[in-house]
Amino acid sequence: MKVNAFRHAGLIAVAITVAGCASGPGGGSIYVPAGGEHSRDEAPQPPQTSERGDEPRVERKSEQPEEPMRQPEHSTPSYQDEGDALSPAARSLIRRADGLMASGDTQAAVAQLERAQRISPRSAQVYFKLSQAYVALDQLGSAEQFTLKGLSLAGSDSSLQRAGWLLLADIRRARGNVAGADQAEARASAL
Amino acid sequence: MICLTAPRIRYNPAMKKSASPRKSPKKSARKGKSTRRPWFWRLFLRVFFVGIVLLAGWTVYLDAVVTSRFEGRRFEVPSRVYARPLELYDGASVSSGALQRELELSGYRAGDGNQAGTYRRNGGHFIISTRGFLFTDGLEPRRRLSLTIYGDRIQDFRVLSGDPSPIVRLEPAQIGGIYPAHKEDRVLVQLADVPNLFTDALLAVEDRNFHDHLGIAPLSIARAMLANIRAGEIVQGGSTLTQQLVKNFFLTREQTLLRKGNEALMSLLLELHYEKSDILETYLNEVYVGQAGTRAIHGFGLASQFYFGESIRDLEAHQIALLVGLVKGPSYYNPRRHPERALSRRNLVIDVMAETGLIVEEEAARARAQPLGVTNRASYSENRYPAYIDLVRRHLARDYKQEDLQSEGLRIFTTLNPAIQYAAEFSVRDMLNRMEGGSDATLESAMVVTSRDSGEVLALVGGRDPKYAGFNRAVDASRPIGSLIKPFVYLTALQQPDRYTLITPVEDKGFSLVFDDGRRWEPQNYDKEERGQVPLHEALSHSYNLPTVRVGLDVGIDSVKSTLQGFGVTGGISEYPSMLLGSVSMTPVTVAQIYQGLATSGFNTPLRTIRQVTDAEGEALSRYSLKVDQVADPAAVHLVQYVMQETMQEGTGRSAYRTVPRELTLAGKTGTTDDGRDSWFAGFSGDLLAVTWVGRDDNGPTSLTGATGALPVWSRFMSQVPQHGFSPVVPDGVEYHWVNPEEVALTDEHCENARLMPFITGSEPDVEVSCSGNLERRIRGWFEGLFQ
Repeated sequence: MKVNAFRHAGLIAVAITVAGCASGPGGGSIYVPAGGEHSRDEAPQPPQTSERGDEPRVERKSEQPEEPMRQPEHSTPSYQDEGDALSPAARSLIRRADGLMASGDTQAAVAQLERAQRISPRSAQVYFKLSQAYVALDQLGSAEQFTLKGLSLAGSDSSLQRAGWLLLADIRRARGNVAGADQAEARASAL
Repeated sequence: MICLTAPRIRYNPAMKKSASPRKSPKKSARKGKSTRRPWFWRLFLRVFFVGIVLLAGWTVYLDAVVTSRFEGRRFEVPSRVYARPLELYDGASVSSGALQRELELSGYRAGDGNQAGTYRRNGGHFIISTRGFLFTDGLEPRRRLSLTIYGDRIQDFRVLSGDPSPIVRLEPAQIGGIYPAHKEDRVLVQLADVPNLFTDALLAVEDRNFHDHLGIAPLSIARAMLANIRAGEIVQGGSTLTQQLVKNFFLTREQTLLRKGNEALMSLLLELHYEKSDILETYLNEVYVGQAGTRAIHGFGLASQFYFGESIRDLEAHQIALLVGLVKGPSYYNPRRHPERALSRRNLVIDVMAETGLIVEEEAARARAQPLGVTNRASYSENRYPAYIDLVRRHLARDYKQEDLQSEGLRIFTTLNPAIQYAAEFSVRDMLNRMEGGSDATLESAMVVTSRDSGEVLALVGGRDPKYAGFNRAVDASRPIGSLIKPFVYLTALQQPDRYTLITPVEDKGFSLVFDDGRRWEPQNYDKEERGQVPLHEALSHSYNLPTVRVGLDVGIDSVKSTLQGFGVTGGISEYPSMLLGSVSMTPVTVAQIYQGLATSGFNTPLRTIRQVTDAEGEALSRYSLKVDQVADPAAVHLVQYVMQETMQEGTGRSAYRTVPRELTLAGKTGTTDDGRDSWFAGFSGDLLAVTWVGRDDNGPTSLTGATGALPVWSRFMSQVPQHGFSPVVPDGVEYHWVNPEEVALTDEHCENARLMPFITGSEPDVEVSCSGNLERRIRGWFEGLFQ
């Protein structure tokens, strides 16, 4: 019955792989190294060095509060249209998880996927993969939630959107939520 | 007569005593010469038989003691608590300083980078030789790694030797333990895990005839004495290993003849019942080899980790010699405190190893030439992260009994990130010292840092002295959250897009509420000003009280309450209107929990400190997996996230950018309660969510607001941690439009006052205003659009 219900599973796997490859590096969240504290990092006794080194700078700032505000260049709230791409490290862990799932060790696969999630927490693919693992564990409630989480990060990537909605349709149908499943399927076909 | 004599007898006991011996010879003499011999033998036999019976009884008793305790006693092995393992791969976020600290915390030594457990650093370039670690999901084998850190990220990550992999986990650092009452710490080893050279060296020094004697060995004592005289000092002990074990295992330390007798008897009995290998293995695990504070280091399994950061399996000859030498006096020969004594003792053991043919002379010479090689300090101190371990214990208490935690040798893998913990502790201490000139020791603080998308608690600070294991404010200080509640009030409103958008005008005007009992409530803005009408986003980003209460009363206190409950508040929530301004008490950890949902587009992610608990052999007992649960419409949460970013750029949180680089986009909210009793800040980046609280334990007033107390600590922390900026993915059903918020109208991108703002689809304004004037700017914009 589970096999019948999850008719889109193969499609999803392909979609995830394709989407993963399509959304290459670039874009995504901006990485910012630690601000101006590098000298502290290099010092052998960080706290002491830093306390002495930073004090004059900060005191000067608090005495002249207007100057460092740089008001004119204040930025606007940030947003992005798509989630981050999977990092190669996370991708290698997902491959490892695929191997474990194929050999039936789904619990171990989840552990690898959680490692991948910690490395690429803002990419939809990781959550769809987790969802698939929870489907295999027959924990459909968790699977549905991870699909929703993945969808929240799919943004304007229509192949990821489609994969997510179809996965959601399958899971909802398996849970007996026919209306929800139809709705999800309609979302997928509208893309 | 009687009256006279009786007191004499009574008052002169000496007389009585001296009288009786006089009497008995008289008696025996009176029995006559002929009966003397039989009588003597009779008495002798009687005493002898009584003695035999007593001895037999005593032996039976001791036998019961020996067998029941030797068999029944399992070692109580404390649970070990580990930090999260550091993952190394291309692109991993870590600074050079943080990596070095992490390596040292895991007991790595600066060295050639070739020997397992050493690293070599040259600027940002590291060569690391890992020791390997058995995780439940597989073995991380030993590897030699090369990597460069540039811009706080790992580059050119390569496995130089060992199993190739694009991603490698370092061994997790041990950050604490859960100890039995007697504070004995040990890592159990099996005889098969111990190198032969180790046991051979131990027997050569402590008990050469171990395999031949019956528990006691008078010949050994003699031989030891001879050897000691020859060496001019004590190189061998007289008692057998069995006797030493019996002494540690069953007896007190007092040196009496009776105890010596018991020791000999029990040693014989132990040998009678058990194999030599059982006795040796128990000895290896029982022997006392050092002290770390109140914690007693027992057994060579822990000793090799404690002194060398190595598994006993991997010890080299000179390390074995040091540990074997320690048996004689762990405190006297403490290699960290008395390195010269330890070195000469070690070399003496190396001599014995060479004399007895365990190693050849070249090996011995090489071993003697080695430095002691002990790690700088105990690889960890159990008091290093008391607040964090406290929270771990509370989470463990849900599923484990205290006695199991203290004795079953469980391994607890936590989510603590030492680098983040370090930055959090540093920020709290540093900023509190600066506030009020550092003179005000009663100002306290707490901080919680979690991973935004996984809910893992990465760091926890329970007070300004992070090593003090007292009141854990992060977990136990329940304080009114003030304006931290406002995002939930507006979220509740924005979930009704037909009634509220980010530019809906809201009234910033005073009013008073009269309750049924006649009491009046007249809320005010923090600055006591009133601004008439303000757009909703500004009311939140500038944290105005009056519009918030109006909006909250309009959507209903019940609705706000159920939003809060959805996001994870389990305690009671006041239903008075003052709750809309945060008269709801929460601990910093609870605040972190409810902000998790705001930070992740409406997905509640339960906070976790533990990833996994395994038994002593590494078999998983329980896993605490990532869970997500959608509790709010992602579209409405996205709008709130927009305003929380605005708060950092233009609102009450803007002073953060005095410390934090502009490129790091952040979102957050300040909170202040009456008279500055509580100063809060809660906010997040792309990677981290952090909550800080500053106030006094006695709930006394301060001159601080959320922006001047908690925010500086928060910003200081954020500026020290390399991370991704916050940039949420636009969810389904949200569109961005250029609007003029004052006019509540769509407008052109290049108009004055134009803002690009998110709307739930269909809720954007349906009127449009064009720019008044500034034609030049519009034309420039048109051209720019053409060539984009």
